[in-house]
Amino acid sequence: MNCRKLILEYLGDYEDGSMASAERAALEAHLSHCPPCVVFLNTYRATGRTLRALKPRDIPKNLAEAVVSFVKARCKDKP
Amino acid sequence: MADDPNAADLELVRRIKKGEDEAFREMVDRYHSRVYSLSYGVLRNAEDAEEATQDTFLTLYRKIGTFDESKKFFSWFYRVALNSAYSRARRRKPAVNVSLEDYVPRFGGDEASPQFQAWVDGIEDEVIARDLAERAEGFIAELPDAYRDVIWMVDVEEMRPADVAETLEISLPALKSRLHRARLFVRQRLAEAASAPQPTGSGERRAAS
Repeated sequence: MNCRKLILEYLGDYEDGSMASAERAALEAHLSHCPPCVVFLNTYRATGRTLRALKPRDIPKNLAEAVVSFVKARCKDKP
Repeated sequence: MADDPNAADLELVRRIKKGEDEAFREMVDRYHSRVYSLSYGVLRNAEDAEEATQDTFLTLYRKIGTFDESKKFFSWFYRVALNSAYSRARRRKPAVNVSLEDYVPRFGGDEASPQFQAWVDGIEDEVIARDLAERAEGFIAELPDAYRDVIWMVDVEEMRPADVAETLEISLPALKSRLHRARLFVRQRLAEAASAPQPTGSGERRAAS
């Protein structure tokens, strides 16, 4: 396990919990003596947090109504 | 509430096919927020996202006869939503090349600033958080569509990777590979943005992006 392998090959699986336990142990052993990789992991997680904040919170009011009206208006004749 | 969401969706599909307006209304209630959110991810403004949402449900109404009930409804419907949104998207600048090599980090130097550390620790102040979120939105928009879709659906919408793979009709390993590359790209750009000296005014920030 080296920094490159960790970052390019294993990090995704580590974060989603799908790594086999032996490999996970090797990754965590690497992290225990590699501060730059720890920083990298933390920035990877910080990226996830920033991305979660992008989800639009303000759905337009009455969007469902607007959609139903829109479709009704364009489909006056049933298909 | 059905234990199997897909079974509940199929029930509505069958009723819509029979011409039940109430069932269509229920489908709108069930899915309009997610469709809006997916559309917003592509189009990045509320008005276009709302129109794309309307288009998506119009397509549902008109094309529901073509839906193959042996497949999962959501995967078909989210594809319709993405197609509606992309057909509205203005022509984009050429996407970045998401080569892994470019995003192996160069350690040292830029991690020193307090605001970088605050971002890493998740304690950055609201103004900075908002600024980084806006930038993240821009970085995502630079990705090729196939990568953009993946990172939006998994990391912003928090959909299950298996569901996203099914929607995009790719294997789970292919999805995970795309997701990781997309994340590495956004991570790199965000780390640079978080390390940069504080901008002096929003005018400068806009010009720089």
